[in-house]
Amino acid sequence: MIRIKGHLDDRWADWFEGMTLTREDNGETLLTGPGIDQAALHGLLKKVRDLGMPLISVNCVEPD
Amino acid sequence: MSTPILATKLYIPPPRAKAVRRPRLIERLNEGLLAGRAPGVTLISAPAGFGKTTLIGEWIAICGLPVAWLSLDEGDSDPTRFLTHLVAAMQTLARNGVEGAKHAADFGKGVSRALDASRPQPPPIESTLTELLNEITALPDHFILVLDDYHVIEATPVDRALAFLLEHQPAQMHLVITTREDPALPLSRLRSRGRLTELRAADLRFSPSEAAEFLNRVMGLTLSAEDIAALENRTEGWIAGLQLAALALQGTLSLQGRQDVHGFIRSFAGDHRYIVDYLVEEVLQRQPAAVRNFLLQTAILDRLNGPLCDAVTGQEGGNARLEALQRGNFFVVPLDDKRHWYRYHQLFAEVLHMHLMAEQPDLAPALHRRASAWHEHFGLAVDAIRHALAAKDFARAADLIELAVPAMRQSRQETTIVGWFKALPDDLLRFRPVLSVYYAGVLMLGGQLEDVESWLRDAERWLDTTADKSGQSETLSADRVVMDKEEFRRLPGTIAMYRAAIALTLGDVPATVKYARRVLDLVSENDHLLRGSAAGFLGLAYWTSGDLDAAHRSYAECMARLLRIGHVSDAIGCSIALADIRIAQGRLREAMSAYERGMQLAVEQGAPALTARGAADMHVGMSELYRERNDLKTAMHHLLRSKDLGEHMGLPQNPYRWRIAMARIREAEGDLDGALDLLHEAERLYVSDYFPNVHPVPALKTRVWVAQGRLGEALGWARQQGLSVEDDLCYLREYEHITLARILLARYKSDRADSGMHEAMGLLERLLKAAQEGGRTGSVIEILALQALAHQMQGDIPAALVPLERALALAEPEGYVRMFVDEGPPMAILLQEAAKHGITPSYVRQLLPALGKAEDKPPVHQDLIEPLSERELEVLRLLRTVLSGPDLARELTVSLNTLRTHTKNIYAKLGVNDRRAAIRRAEELNLF
Repeated sequence: MIRIKGHLDDRWADWFEGMTLTREDNGETLLTGPGIDQAALHGLLKKVRDLGMPLISVNCVEPD
Repeated sequence: MSTPILATKLYIPPPRAKAVRRPRLIERLNEGLLAGRAPGVTLISAPAGFGKTTLIGEWIAICGLPVAWLSLDEGDSDPTRFLTHLVAAMQTLARNGVEGAKHAADFGKGVSRALDASRPQPPPIESTLTELLNEITALPDHFILVLDDYHVIEATPVDRALAFLLEHQPAQMHLVITTREDPALPLSRLRSRGRLTELRAADLRFSPSEAAEFLNRVMGLTLSAEDIAALENRTEGWIAGLQLAALALQGTLSLQGRQDVHGFIRSFAGDHRYIVDYLVEEVLQRQPAAVRNFLLQTAILDRLNGPLCDAVTGQEGGNARLEALQRGNFFVVPLDDKRHWYRYHQLFAEVLHMHLMAEQPDLAPALHRRASAWHEHFGLAVDAIRHALAAKDFARAADLIELAVPAMRQSRQETTIVGWFKALPDDLLRFRPVLSVYYAGVLMLGGQLEDVESWLRDAERWLDTTADKSGQSETLSADRVVMDKEEFRRLPGTIAMYRAAIALTLGDVPATVKYARRVLDLVSENDHLLRGSAAGFLGLAYWTSGDLDAAHRSYAECMARLLRIGHVSDAIGCSIALADIRIAQGRLREAMSAYERGMQLAVEQGAPALTARGAADMHVGMSELYRERNDLKTAMHHLLRSKDLGEHMGLPQNPYRWRIAMARIREAEGDLDGALDLLHEAERLYVSDYFPNVHPVPALKTRVWVAQGRLGEALGWARQQGLSVEDDLCYLREYEHITLARILLARYKSDRADSGMHEAMGLLERLLKAAQEGGRTGSVIEILALQALAHQMQGDIPAALVPLERALALAEPEGYVRMFVDEGPPMAILLQEAAKHGITPSYVRQLLPALGKAEDKPPVHQDLIEPLSERELEVLRLLRTVLSGPDLARELTVSLNTLRTHTKNIYAKLGVNDRRAAIRRAEELNLF
């Protein structure tokens, strides 16, 4: 689960290969996706870095 | 062929005509430069869009120092490409005004040649950097090296190279790194040493007054203080955000007029959306459709120029549009001063690309295909392939890759090739035999031998379709895809060559010979690479099985062919094998010629003051031959020359061979402990480099033990190796068996048990026969000398003189000295007997003084109860210098422990307790 400051448009969902975007009321966006491995996670973080998106946190969450 | 240089990567971005001056940052950059704690590093580490590159561009325009600039891209994770461009960037210094222009033309040429000369091995990064650092040190002026966008590097070798550069940074070089993430470098160490100046996001963001200047003066808006504060607050001083906002505002002004500006800012400030999303949307909405399409469609390009944009968009006037975009501050960066090449700011390009994918997802592959075709047309294979892969047009990519691999391999961009193969689907490769074999080569480099074989088999299915009448092959050949017909014709030979290499790696000599011969049957006379490789494999195989004449012939052919295609270092490596073989044959003079020829090649190949890799090995080889002639001074001189060149000028075996050569000189000087220290190191550093291990280091150590009378340890070694006098004999173990005979003779000397002598004599007789049959005259001489010594031990001088006479007759024409002298006093007595009997009298007259030297040399007059040994005197002289203990040990090439033993003995003999007292006492005694 990646938390980013600012609301991302839906069109980023494809860019972040299958991740689900959730916009929260506090102006943050959650990127969540199942079964992502370390390499894919680093790839995602690199995209976040290259787009200058302010990264707030990265968490591992257990599926419900 | 060397790696092509992209000039746009070296282009220094000029300061913008209209830009926000940032004196507080410039000041800090200057401080980092002038703080007198050279050599310094400036790290500009902040996310995309904080004006890192712009700031450095502004600064270097006014700082007054010459600058070498390198804009990095993903391709630079390939160390060869990185180093090549680093050198090219440094070469621009000459053009950019570094004085002492004698280097202008030549700077870095040595480095480039070093890169070339290492072919086809991967470049020795540290040695190439050392070469570069040496050249930098020779520059008279201070300068700045900028590595822009270091975050794109994702390769440990490049990180290591940069860490090495920092560790050895010359005082006249100041390094500037811009990056979006802190690099994998020892930053805390640099910080603690005060060498690091850092500017981070908090420093770079626009202050309210800078934001005001930017929006109103640079972007030509006239915003109120309140509006500026709102924008500054919303973007938190993020410059890319402010610039996008300004572009959107310009659009608002021209479309809707001033009254809407305030409204725009208010809604932007109150919106939660990601700034870039919000603003790019606003900017794009306010552009005419033509501009908007142009931006979206060209966003797939890493570098843009007018014709390329026209090809991709299918429109005209790309050049004018690019210029207009740049003038309008549309995140377009010029890459040269001819208004030819541009790129988008990466952040902007990413967002545009994302918009393209969201709005016209089907268009992207077509755009990439057009870009690929354009690049192919202009011979830019790497870009053509990248776009073909991006278009997922794998067939096209595979076609292009097949044609591009040879040139890429020549310029050693293996990392790039590996990346291509990773991107191509395996299914596609299976129909492309040439590519399959290239892939096998890639896997071979990575040591994945089993996979290599499976791809070779795959490729083979396509080769001989006519021989197979099953009909199935007909269909197969219809599906076969071959782009490079010439390479396809060579495939059978190439496949056999890889099989020979695999067999050699697995130590399977008969298979190596089989496949190497097949290569020679299959390939044309002027295919020097394949024929040369095959000859080299045959040489190794013959050598390993002891067929020295055949081995020499094959190696000579291998060397000649490697030279014809410019693989100089590998050819020099052949010299080592040729000399080793000649030494085994007892042809020392020809061995010397082989080294001289290698040295000549090394010198001819290099630029002035630079020799090719392998020169260090030639010095070591010559040293060994001079030692055999008992010219220890010249032998030592060559070893020091080798060391001066640096181990990076040596081929893989050099570190261990150097230590063996030095150990044997120590041994000749009577310093057996020092010799053992060196042999111990040699054992640790041993690398076969495929050479048969005909003189194993443990056997060399054992011989020193025998000389020291440590028979228990020597016998332990023989047991451990499973050596016995009854063994079947073979060339590979000959040296160990002769060592065993020496151990048995030494034991006889102490216990006088006849059975041991009997065993030794029997073994020596069999060894002699085998060595004679194999034409190994070097071994024959040694065995004969041992037989003579054995007879002497039994008190039978006449019987001793028979083998000795044969040994001397064989040894005289080649000038052997240490072969006899190393046997010590018993040999001296025998030689005197030989002289009496008129056996090779002039040769014996030459040998005897060398033998007497150690015994009769009058010691320096010492008023000591126990005089200092030669070695101790040497240590004593060094003690008078300012060298520290570890330095002394290095100078003497002994371990610190051995050095301590020496100094302890010296102090004891002089009756003192410390270094200073020892020097005083030695001066009183006139020992210096």
